[in-house]
Amino acid sequence: MSVWVYSESEGISDEVASAALDISEPTSAGPSVIDIGQVRDGTHSAGDKLVLKGPPSTEPPPQVAAEAIFRAAKELRPASILIGATRNGREVASRLAAKLRVGCLSDAFKVSCDGQNLFAERNVYAGKVVAMVTCPLPSIATVKVGAYPRLGSTPKETREVDVGQIDSQVRVLRREKKVVGSVDLKSARVIVSAGRGVKKREDLAMLADLAKEMQGALGCSRPLSSDLGWLPEEHHIGLTGVTVKPDLYLAVGISGQLQHVAGMKDSKIVAAINTDKDAPIFQASDYGIVGDLYQVIPAIRRAFTSRG
Amino acid sequence: MRFAVCVKHAIDETELRIDSSGKPQLDGAAGKMSTFDKNAVEEALRLRSAQSGEVVAFTVGGPDARKTLKEALAMGADRGVIISADLLATDTLRTAELLAAAITKTGPYDVILCSEGSSDTYDGQVPPMLGELLGLPYAGYSRKIEVVGGSAKIERSLEDSVEAVESSLPLVASVVSEINEPRYPTLIQIMQSSMKPVEELNGEQLVQQGTHKQSSVVSMVAQTSSRKHVMIEGSPDEAASKLVEALVKEGVLPK
Ligand SMILES: Cc1cc2nc3c(=O)[nH]c(=O)nc-3n(C[C@H](O)[C@H](O)[C@H](O)COP(=O)(O)OP(=O)(O)OC[C@H]3O[C@@H](n4cnc5c(N)ncnc54)[C@H](O)[C@@H]3O)c2cc1C
Ligand SMILES: Nc1ncnc2c1ncn2[C@@H]1O[C@H](COP(=O)(O)O)[C@@H](O)[C@H]1O
Repeated sequence: MSVWVYSESEGISDEVASAALDISEPTSAGPSVIDIGQVRDGTHSAGDKLVLKGPPSTEPPPQVAAEAIFRAAKELRPASILIGATRNGREVASRLAAKLRVGCLSDAFKVSCDGQNLFAERNVYAGKVVAMVTCPLPSIATVKVGAYPRLGSTPKETREVDVGQIDSQVRVLRREKKVVGSVDLKSARVIVSAGRGVKKREDLAMLADLAKEMQGALGCSRPLSSDLGWLPEEHHIGLTGVTVKPDLYLAVGISGQLQHVAGMKDSKIVAAINTDKDAPIFQASDYGIVGDLYQVIPAIRRAFTSRG
Repeated sequence: MRFAVCVKHAIDETELRIDSSGKPQLDGAAGKMSTFDKNAVEEALRLRSAQSGEVVAFTVGGPDARKTLKEALAMGADRGVIISADLLATDTLRTAELLAAAITKTGPYDVILCSEGSSDTYDGQVPPMLGELLGLPYAGYSRKIEVVGGSAKIERSLEDSVEAVESSLPLVASVVSEINEPRYPTLIQIMQSSMKPVEELNGEQLVQQGTHKQSSVVSMVAQTSSRKHVMIEGSPDEAASKLVEALVKEGVLPK
């Protein structure tokens, strides 16, 4: 069964390729990883590579990517197309579904196939419930970022398809990097995570220092990266951010709404510090301290550095 | 100028009950306006006050979805359109088809707004599908929208960057929650909202079933978690020492 894989991000493309192995039969050629414009060196594939020639850019706008994949799909008819569930990736997948008039499953952390239907496991209702969803083939799914390991092998074959010139209806004026993060939350063993209980941006330093002392990384709740812009978007943990599974997750001034817990519930040990004894985060914690983070965090740093 | 805003009557995750077998009780489950759709309504109202004109709220859903439409009207939308459908049996593409048909039927509109994703299913699919089906320019994850003359300047919030884009009108956009602070309707506005016009469209008649094979749910099971729930007491220093000691015992702190 032919499965296509696409993400505008090379690393995520490798993750989606390993998801594709779950649905393409082991004997077949394996998934085809799509590159648009030209071959990207960084992307790997267990099968072959499909290069769509025509659109000039290696990082085409989602509208252009969707049209390019659509044109190739009309000709080559893949059974399934898997796309990384980034913000732009969701647009590519949705547009493709609307063009091809096929269903699209979203945010799958596990995909499977019975030869007739595509299946996906995903979070719904803010992560309170896991749903198994399905759609008859041919169909599309987006794959949750971080759900699958990155696959790395050299492609067997490179195929080219000319899809012609494609224009975007919106014009990109400029793109600016947000605050740049330096840590990889997915591989961190300890995550110190900051929430709205932190009063000022400068106070994050105290938490970053603790994270560093514990050889860990600093994460946050969505309001800190989105509304306040204190940390990069990819540092926010939860339904709309990253999913993490560290040995220790230390939630500091985080209320523990369902959408946040959805991203850290598989941590080995969860500890929380919150002034509100009724904060829902304590329901999702192994250890809890009811107290002011401005007193408790310095005390934890003292206790940690002087531990026996 | 005319603004369309799409609001979903979403299942309220905080009220959702789980039965003894671990299944969510969706029949008769409480609903609410999808959280970020309030930001979409707010943005439509903000654009209307700068441009003058009309804001029309659209919802696809069952009879209950009227509540969400009424909330949009109470916030300040001028009119509402409800397109009848059973949301549990309507996938994102069919929802987008119904919205596109209703928007075309009652249009034209200059700006069509959605949120980045609904609070119950968070698919993030309906808005780009709507852009595609209507054949209009689309800007997803907008954190700032400026309409000047016949065009719009938009800041899109991506994972690691902010992208400034420009587009002609009409345009479809989805907004992120940080774009604005949604207003709370006053009591008087809530009362007056019953007097605003609501048009009802029959979904089955609007778009025939069977344009595609819909996606559907096979099964659902509630998440369970087992945590120790140990509350540590004492002064900050005492509590901190006990916590560090416990974490060392758990073997989760570096040596
Ligand atoms: C569709 C959707 C998706 C979402 N996705 C995500 C997501 O991926 N990730 C996410 O995090 N959120 C997400 N949210 C938002 C989520 O619902 C919550 O609003 C958010 O997680 C709250 O962040 P918070 O806990 O930092 O802030 P708050 O809820 O405001 O909590 C702050 C906490 O700090 C405590 N506090 C205050 N002062 C102190 C002090 N001095 N010391 C100690 N504690 C103190 C308070 O008691 C309170 O519990 C989503 C929402 C929706 C609708
Ligand atoms: N049933 C619906 N009625 C009206 N608008 C909807 C509906 N479903 C989705 N939308 C719009 O599309 C956005 C994203 O929805 P989703 O694709 O379900 O995550 C929502 O925030 C709404 O603006």
